[in-house]
Amino acid sequence: MEKKFGVYICKGCSIGESVNIDNLIKSTARAAKMQPEAVRVHDVLCSPAGLEMIKNDVKEGTNAIVIGACSPRVKFEEFDLPGAITERVNLREFVAWSQDPNTDATQSIAEDYMKMGIIKVQKGDLPEPNILPDLSKTIVVVGGGVSGLTSALEAAEAGYEVVLVEKQAELGGWAAKLYKQTPREYPYEKLEEPAVFAKIKEVEAHPNIKVYKSAVIEKTEGQPGLFDVTIRTNGTGETIKAGAFIMAAGWQPYDASKLGHLGYGNPNVITNVQMEEIAKTGKITRPSDGKEAKRVAFIQCAGSRDPEHLPYCSSFCCATSLKQAKYVREKNGDAVAMIFYKDIRTPGQTEIFYKNMQNDPGVLLTKADVTGISDAGNGNMFVEAENTLLGEKIKVEADLVVLATGIVPATRAPQEYLDGLTEAGKKGDDARKAYIESTPKPEFILNLDYRQGPEIPSLEGAYGFADSNFICFQYETRRTGIYSAGCVRQPMTMADASDDAAGAALKAIQCVEHVAQGIAVHPRAWDMTFPDPLMIKCTSCKRCTEECPFGAIDEDEKGTPFYRINRCRRCGTCMGACPERIVSFKDFSVDIVGSMIRGIEVSEDEFRIVVLACENDAYPALDSAAIKRNKINPNVRIIPVRCLGSTNLVWVTDAFSKGIDGLILLGCKYGENYQCHFVKGSELANYRFGKVKETLDKLQLESDRCQLIQVAISEYDKLPEIINDFVARVEEIGPNPFKEF
Amino acid sequence: MADNKNVLVIGGGFSGLTAAVETAEAGFDVVMVEKTPFLGGRVTQLNKYFPKLCPPNCGLEINFKRIKNNAGITFHTLAEVEKISGQEGSYNVTVKVNPRFVNDNCVGCNACAEACPVEIPNEFNFNMDKTKAAYITHNQAFPFKYVIDCRYCKGASCAKCVEACKYDAIDLNMKPETISLNVSSIVLATGWDSYDVSKLDNLGGGKIANVITNMMMERLASPNGPTSGKILRPSDGKPVQSIAFVQCAGSRDENHLPYCSYICCMASMKQATYLREQYPDSTARIFYIDLRTPGRYEQFYWKVKDDPKVSFTKGKVAKITEDPETKDVIVEAEDIQLGKKIKAKFDMVVLAAGMVPSTKASKIPGDITYTADGFVASSSLKKGIYAVGTLKSPVDVSRSVQDATGAAIKSIQSARRSK
Amino acid sequence: MPEQIMTQVISPDLNFVKDIIASGGESLKKCYQCSTCTVVCNVTPDDKPFPRKEMMYAQWGMKDKLVSNPDIWLCHQCSDCTAYCPRGAKPGEVIGAVRKLAIQHYSPTPLAKMVGDPKYLLMLFAIPVLLFLAYIVPKGYLDFSAIPRGEDGGIVYSKFVPVFPEIDVTFGAAAFFAAVCFVLGIKRYWTDMSAGVKVQGNLMDSIKATIIDIITHKKFEKCNVTKDRKTSHLLVFYSFVGLAITTTLAIVYLYGFKYESPYPLYDPLKIIGNISALALLYGITLVTGNRLKNAEKAGKGSYFDWLFITVVAVVAVTGMGAQLFRLADIAILAYPTYFTHLVFVFFLFAYAPFSKMAHMVYRTTAMVFARHTNRD
Repeated sequence: MEKKFGVYICKGCSIGESVNIDNLIKSTARAAKMQPEAVRVHDVLCSPAGLEMIKNDVKEGTNAIVIGACSPRVKFEEFDLPGAITERVNLREFVAWSQDPNTDATQSIAEDYMKMGIIKVQKGDLPEPNILPDLSKTIVVVGGGVSGLTSALEAAEAGYEVVLVEKQAELGGWAAKLYKQTPREYPYEKLEEPAVFAKIKEVEAHPNIKVYKSAVIEKTEGQPGLFDVTIRTNGTGETIKAGAFIMAAGWQPYDASKLGHLGYGNPNVITNVQMEEIAKTGKITRPSDGKEAKRVAFIQCAGSRDPEHLPYCSSFCCATSLKQAKYVREKNGDAVAMIFYKDIRTPGQTEIFYKNMQNDPGVLLTKADVTGISDAGNGNMFVEAENTLLGEKIKVEADLVVLATGIVPATRAPQEYLDGLTEAGKKGDDARKAYIESTPKPEFILNLDYRQGPEIPSLEGAYGFADSNFICFQYETRRTGIYSAGCVRQPMTMADASDDAAGAALKAIQCVEHVAQGIAVHPRAWDMTFPDPLMIKCTSCKRCTEECPFGAIDEDEKGTPFYRINRCRRCGTCMGACPERIVSFKDFSVDIVGSMIRGIEVSEDEFRIVVLACENDAYPALDSAAIKRNKINPNVRIIPVRCLGSTNLVWVTDAFSKGIDGLILLGCKYGENYQCHFVKGSELANYRFGKVKETLDKLQLESDRCQLIQVAISEYDKLPEIINDFVARVEEIGPNPFKEF
Repeated sequence: MADNKNVLVIGGGFSGLTAAVETAEAGFDVVMVEKTPFLGGRVTQLNKYFPKLCPPNCGLEINFKRIKNNAGITFHTLAEVEKISGQEGSYNVTVKVNPRFVNDNCVGCNACAEACPVEIPNEFNFNMDKTKAAYITHNQAFPFKYVIDCRYCKGASCAKCVEACKYDAIDLNMKPETISLNVSSIVLATGWDSYDVSKLDNLGGGKIANVITNMMMERLASPNGPTSGKILRPSDGKPVQSIAFVQCAGSRDENHLPYCSYICCMASMKQATYLREQYPDSTARIFYIDLRTPGRYEQFYWKVKDDPKVSFTKGKVAKITEDPETKDVIVEAEDIQLGKKIKAKFDMVVLAAGMVPSTKASKIPGDITYTADGFVASSSLKKGIYAVGTLKSPVDVSRSVQDATGAAIKSIQSARRSK
Repeated sequence: MPEQIMTQVISPDLNFVKDIIASGGESLKKCYQCSTCTVVCNVTPDDKPFPRKEMMYAQWGMKDKLVSNPDIWLCHQCSDCTAYCPRGAKPGEVIGAVRKLAIQHYSPTPLAKMVGDPKYLLMLFAIPVLLFLAYIVPKGYLDFSAIPRGEDGGIVYSKFVPVFPEIDVTFGAAAFFAAVCFVLGIKRYWTDMSAGVKVQGNLMDSIKATIIDIITHKKFEKCNVTKDRKTSHLLVFYSFVGLAITTTLAIVYLYGFKYESPYPLYDPLKIIGNISALALLYGITLVTGNRLKNAEKAGKGSYFDWLFITVVAVVAVTGMGAQLFRLADIAILAYPTYFTHLVFVFFLFAYAPFSKMAHMVYRTTAMVFARHTNRD
């Protein structure tokens, strides 16, 4: 594209009073290789008159625009100029509002920022979407339980073709095994007939839904919009095209055979799943002798909330036991149901259900730590418990004991197997081989043909749940286009699973729609750019394939990486990883940022620090500090990056060879509770940075000159101080020895 | 002329934002109306989210960015829905947009607030400090545009702000406007209010200076709060060394809110970490009936329980009094596990006040049925109207997100059906 | 040596749960053990306080833990617990129902069950009605003009139903029966209460202290929601004391001085009697009024409660009425009123160990026991 430059400087919001505009014009014009008169200045650029000036220029062909005014976080509508490369230089927040007015330092900050803006526009290009041919919008739903059925129906009702794959011979999952279900709506009084059967009928009759029963996914190849899914049903395989997945593979009850301490093994100690089956038979009878059970004990948290078993709460067992207690009472008015709980957990309006169920003379509850089950003769048992509300240590006779067992996500077994494999792999190929030979391979669910593995990678501390780590963005797993729903994601009740399934269906729809437009999905859902590698220079080092948080890069037979662009979320981690610096986006590349760094004026008598700031959190935090008129150290120059993961180590070289004295990577928190919107970005940057520090030390260039600082968006008050501390440390070390060259 | 959009979202809190953004990113036009001058709702008042202890403004920033980058979303602040009629595919909605008295010229420079002579109670901080009649709630507010509170502004007779504004951004003569919309579906996301603790006569709510609510605690701990994040007690500004959390303050109580408010257990544990992080010698004690940390939240409970300076007492606090001299707070409960009635003194007490659906106090116009507690009875909603988040039952942010995303697909279905 | 905690075997008794529910504790099952009740209760001791644990025992049908439990009597049903209970479980009402069941439990006769059950109400009244009819019908006294008059021509009730043997033997026997039932009941109760409990100190001191508590109504002062109960209960209590003195005087007059009724209004006996009767009338009206006023917060009360209140009220009204009608010489009202009075007085005394009247004995015993065991 032939670029016609337009450079605009706003004097409003005290910019005009903070810097010498004439000098700023001169230096900017120099950088832009244009006449100073061509640089346009306005008192209030965002005013109608100011905007009209820019828009007229655009009409007349200006298409490469640098606007020196306020932060790009504000006045976004005003400065939205379709068809033009637009760079907003933050003169207001980073200069006028956070620096002392009219000092040489302030002037040079403004000049540096304008120059960097010019460089960015010079080097950048207008993005064009990358739309791949033959895209499918079909949504594959894995699992035919409540979640899967709901997702399938919701997507189909929204007008999308759906393929539902269920492992069992019948649809319905656990919900179809229930005698009755807990009420889902106020006043939460009556147990309801299982609603799943109506849903099954709807799904099976829906013209947009194709159901595969007794079927598993043998292989998933490709990428969003272009998945090739091989479904195996009774020995025959079929490959279909699909656009996105909803992963609703559900759960298994916790293996009760591990609950020997709660009496499992005794025929009259059953699980809550068995209780449903018994209730369906008519009377509540006990397995050992078929006698009607008149004293039924429910033991809550059987396995759940237990560090030895499941370290989480399974969320639905309290309501389920209250419901089953009602079974006992409805079937026999003389029977009692006794519930031993740690805490009754009926959050939200479910509390009203608790109250209703409890208000039955024969439903008895006590907090208790159940210590064991002992024999009471005649097939009866004593439930033994401590710390109860009835006494310190008690024994209660029961003729049937129901263990409220919790849930284990279907993803857990594959995950554990794969984690073991990774661990073994770290010890070498032999260990890996030995692991494969000695460990029984569980059934995989998605069988993704991805370089990074066949399933959705689980989070640290998620116990195999295919959950996202984000509170605000529930469905963002690390596999683009694959959204998990229901109990495979989190322990939840059936009502919650239905809501969840609807949400996941929406995300799948968004994905196929965005792929069709050639734009990214969350969190850069507007982004048309994409990584465009110069493959000719690729050395097949595979760092990109390993580091991509989303598994977007596979390798061909020769081991050469290639992009599955529709899996990409545009974080630029590959760009940061590549030692050959071959990955570029139209508006963001190693060269663009490197040139911006090199564009910073360096003088011998001043310290100069570069801050590479994550644009999601660190940049807004800096902005916010400025909005509070907090002073930001005048020695620093801030450059926003998409994610710290995109930080290429060559920028460190660029900075130090240029004579920059220090470098801060300012990004999101990493670790278990990471806040990085691209999951691994700041963690990877830290890892890479560790390596570069070694090199710096070797070069006798103190590694303290580089620091990665994790910062939250709310830490704007601390940020200026953190930066000052760093600058002080660099000043202590002394100027960059390369300065002289 | 009615403005034709696919979906109307009523409420610009986290549920509404999510519903709007997710719908728009699926390719549908959305209009969002928000009653207050800013988007973000309740979560803008929170310091951190449980269980990650991450700042809510992080997720808000991304969502605001999604709005900025999506031409399919329009929003109106200070806007209230006055009338809804019609049916799925064609709901006619009348929206009243109240004057902000600040127009789009506003650059957010703060000159009006500096010039404004009227100090007003800062409702964003639950009146724990003052702000000006020309104000912005905090430095990450969206839209980043000041507002003038007409309840306090002295109008043309003062006009100091008009004088101070260099950008012609203030128009004290702004009048309410009415806009008409025609939409195919409507998402109700008007959120929740904190239970009025002054109704808890035995717990000293609103009467004892150092008895505050959980939402006030969020403001006290927030860097953009009245104390810039320092946890100081209201009576004398003393750093809080001992704190008690009173769970179910209003919730699970027929005399107040019969349901469980879902978030309070996790919120109090989270707030205990605020204090513990700030003052290494401080102690926190949580009085509860049942601890409710469903799902993986259990891990957060374990983590907090591991701190030897945080203790948990089973037993509901039913009496709170004040030491008139020290202004310390005396809490009475039964330690149920010990079987003893106890009295304990604390620097400050936090009432884990429950959630009240906004529709308890202000009903949404139209044919909407509510439960006795003011929640929307969702199964009785007309086709094409969907309620989300805390309007249906008390939920936390992540469940609101789930639900709002689910509502987005429902509204898309409505839009499709009516095409 | 660490204390060995004994394992208790719990066997829930569903029927007992149902009994409590049927006896006015219908809200029992709503309790979720938050202990608000215990905290707002001002009469409970701090250690092992009530009524939270009693609610738990009641829900689980643990009759043994409840009927012999002195705490159920230490409860004065202030109803603070009921007013603040977040679940509407009304612990005050539940404990009241438990007290009724405790009275029944310790009653040596099945009469207790009948007093607590409206089904038997007619039958219970039938006993005194038939008894007194048996005295008057054979004499043809259903025709009031056939009843002999006094020397001054006025109405003389002893000529309607003679003091001896009819009245005194009947009431003497009833009182004796009641006393025996009380003694038997209390004996068992005391034994149950003391099982496994260390008793210390001087029993007489505990009794003395308890009596002081009772005559000053100190416990009632601690009530919050039903503050006004102190006055009304005190009035009723002292009017009963006054009426007891009146009765004693009447016995002394008749058998000591052979001085027969009717007595003139200025007679000390009459003065004490009338003042007591007026106090009772006023007191019971206050009791009723307070109960109705506080019904929303404190609960509406059980059949057992209201039966007792009604009986006392009718005794007071008919007692006063009989006197007034006698003085006004309205035979048609005087005799039936007096007859009713006798029936209700009989009901009050003969059934005292089985009705709410028994609370004065059981509560006193429990208070003595509590003092004696340092519980209170």
